[in-house]
Amino acid sequence: MTSSGPSPILNDYGFVALVLVMALGLALLVAAAFLRAPGLLMRTPSIWGQFRFGYAVYALIFLAFDMEMIFMYPWAVVFADIGISAFLDMLVFIVLLGAGIAYAWGMGGLEWE
Amino acid sequence: MTAGLEIIAFAICAFIAITGALGMTTTMSMFRSGIFLMASFVGVAGLFILLAADLIGVLQIMMYIGGMLVMILFMVLVMHDPGGAMMAGMDMSFVERWFSKGLVPREPAQSGHAKHMHGDHQRGYNDHHHGNAVQPDEPNDRKAAAMRSGHGAHPMEHTDDDEQEGQVMHHSGDKHDDMDMGGMDMSMVTPVRPIAVWLAAAVSVVLVSMLLLRPAWRIIDAAPDPDSARSIGHLLMEKYMVAFEGAGFLILIGIFGAVLLARPSTHPDDPSRSAKVAIDERPEPIADDGLTPLAGARGSTEHHMHRHHRPEEHGA
Amino acid sequence: MGMIATAALVLVALVLGAALTLLVERLSTPHHVEPGPAQAADVRHSLVIANSDRWLLPAGPVVALTGVALALVVLPFGPGLIGRDLGIGVFYVIVVIDFVVLGLALAGWGANTAHAVEACYRIIAQLVAYVVPLGLAYVGVIMMARSLSTVAIVEAQSGLWFVVLQPIGFVLYLVTGLMQSYRAPFLEPFAASIGGGVLDVSAGWSALLWRIALAGVLFLVAAIGALLYLGGATGPLLPGWAWMIIKTYALMALMLWLGRLVRPFSTAQMLALSWKLLIPLGLLNVLLVGGLILLGVGP
Repeated sequence: MTSSGPSPILNDYGFVALVLVMALGLALLVAAAFLRAPGLLMRTPSIWGQFRFGYAVYALIFLAFDMEMIFMYPWAVVFADIGISAFLDMLVFIVLLGAGIAYAWGMGGLEWE
Repeated sequence: MTAGLEIIAFAICAFIAITGALGMTTTMSMFRSGIFLMASFVGVAGLFILLAADLIGVLQIMMYIGGMLVMILFMVLVMHDPGGAMMAGMDMSFVERWFSKGLVPREPAQSGHAKHMHGDHQRGYNDHHHGNAVQPDEPNDRKAAAMRSGHGAHPMEHTDDDEQEGQVMHHSGDKHDDMDMGGMDMSMVTPVRPIAVWLAAAVSVVLVSMLLLRPAWRIIDAAPDPDSARSIGHLLMEKYMVAFEGAGFLILIGIFGAVLLARPSTHPDDPSRSAKVAIDERPEPIADDGLTPLAGARGSTEHHMHRHHRPEEHGA
Repeated sequence: MGMIATAALVLVALVLGAALTLLVERLSTPHHVEPGPAQAADVRHSLVIANSDRWLLPAGPVVALTGVALALVVLPFGPGLIGRDLGIGVFYVIVVIDFVVLGLALAGWGANTAHAVEACYRIIAQLVAYVVPLGLAYVGVIMMARSLSTVAIVEAQSGLWFVVLQPIGFVLYLVTGLMQSYRAPFLEPFAASIGGGVLDVSAGWSALLWRIALAGVLFLVAAIGALLYLGGATGPLLPGWAWMIIKTYALMALMLWLGRLVRPFSTAQMLALSWKLLIPLGLLNVLLVGGLILLGVGP
């Protein structure tokens, strides 16, 4: 039963985690440096309530396109190696999404409400 | 990275994932709930990275930051009390109280007349109470806040017309522990809770034991591919092509649905629910940028003078 | 070099880059105009907000600073001067800079004032506007470089910079980079009409952190632009890191100047611009770059 050792990817992300911890430490240092600063008090009424916002359709379409972008990144890496079939596949994908935007635009969805 | 460090990293990521999920279910604030779910998925992303699937791990984070922020937006649109300030004053269990810490307004050091800002928002908040408990809503906010402050009766900031009521409510509020919102009991402690907790614990025990007592875990003698983006790309283009296009089609259907559902309805919204962001205001121009001013633009506010109301000065 | 030393160097690079960015911003604006979002925030006093969410409000600037610091890990300032060359470098950067938006939204909601919650909505609107066109600009570069790694992208431009091969993508990057860094003309979350938004409710340590984070975002956007389109840390005569700094700040000055040529956009106009113009342009750019690669143009 042999298993390979830890992947070199883990070393990379260990470094990332180290930078994360150090950035948090830096933020803590900055916060601590201001402990003696004179404090001002701001008293405003609580405003957490139900409010409308005008970009609901934009937000929903953004979710859809975020999922689309997920597919485009790995595709972009291998595109040059595969060639024209990858181009045609992505063409179909882009046409589908373009149809989505065109539909939303035509139905008046891309408007501020 | 040695095996010991891997185990520690796994433990930390698993802890984040579980605590995030626990926080999501128990906190009183909708916004915090979304953020806890995001944090939980950051833990899951860490687990993916530990399996050397770094593209998918980082992809989790990307999806969930965008997705959770949009989901939080819609929750704030639809839910009552999305900030949790009202619910945080209720009777809760220990876990819920811990994850809802910091939501309740803190007491000021001394009493005094509060600055009168946007009082109509408070009144608008009252209008959304269904049922019979409209009037006690605001004093109960004070009551809740007074109880959470623990010792003594510190008067909270109040709008002018509620001052008398607030003072009266404090003395009666300090005595009892249960909330009575005029017939609408919003306590979080219900008789079925212990049963639910035991059921959840039993289900978790069953799942974990199924995991641990599984007969044979196959160990493959292959190194994980360091260039995961390329291998995922090849897989998408070759083996999973149909799934790829199918996903695109599914996304298209989602867009259709979103546009159809978001059409303006025949019932207009309550005007008290309009926030400024719902109005498309023209932004005032940057002063001295050399552009001709728009007709009727509000050029009076200089761009660098953005401190209209300075907070009042208090001692440290 | 040890890991800890390298990590410390990354943070030092962040602080230096942010400081230089603040200087460049201050120098490049006429004196009646607000230089950058956080430059007027009050650093001397600290602020206590009565109704705030006491976990979310302080977490905002910390999360934003963390995002900027993490993104700097993967940026090459010279042949060996990189925190770590992650295999998914550029994708990682896109994801991690989104933490700045998350931090702004946390602080905006957590402060529980009318202006700050309004700013939270506008900040999320800006996220909705910039992510997809920015990603499409990145995808064009990734296609030509055949890799997500930042070092590979720099190497792929050893013949010809991508700004020449993908001008549409470059323009797209300029516009969405301004959106991503909350600079003119996409300033609505920090507008004067809402009192500066999130900056109105920050003072003392959080104001200082916001300055670093917001300057850091502009620095990162310019540095990544220099990396993606201007060839990164390469050039004749001077050492690599000098060229990287020159290209970064030249691009930053260009973006700031271009941004001030137009009137500020309202949130609705920004969303409409992004979804009606920039995304179709981005999709067109991807198809064009694909065609160019199939014809054999490029590295």
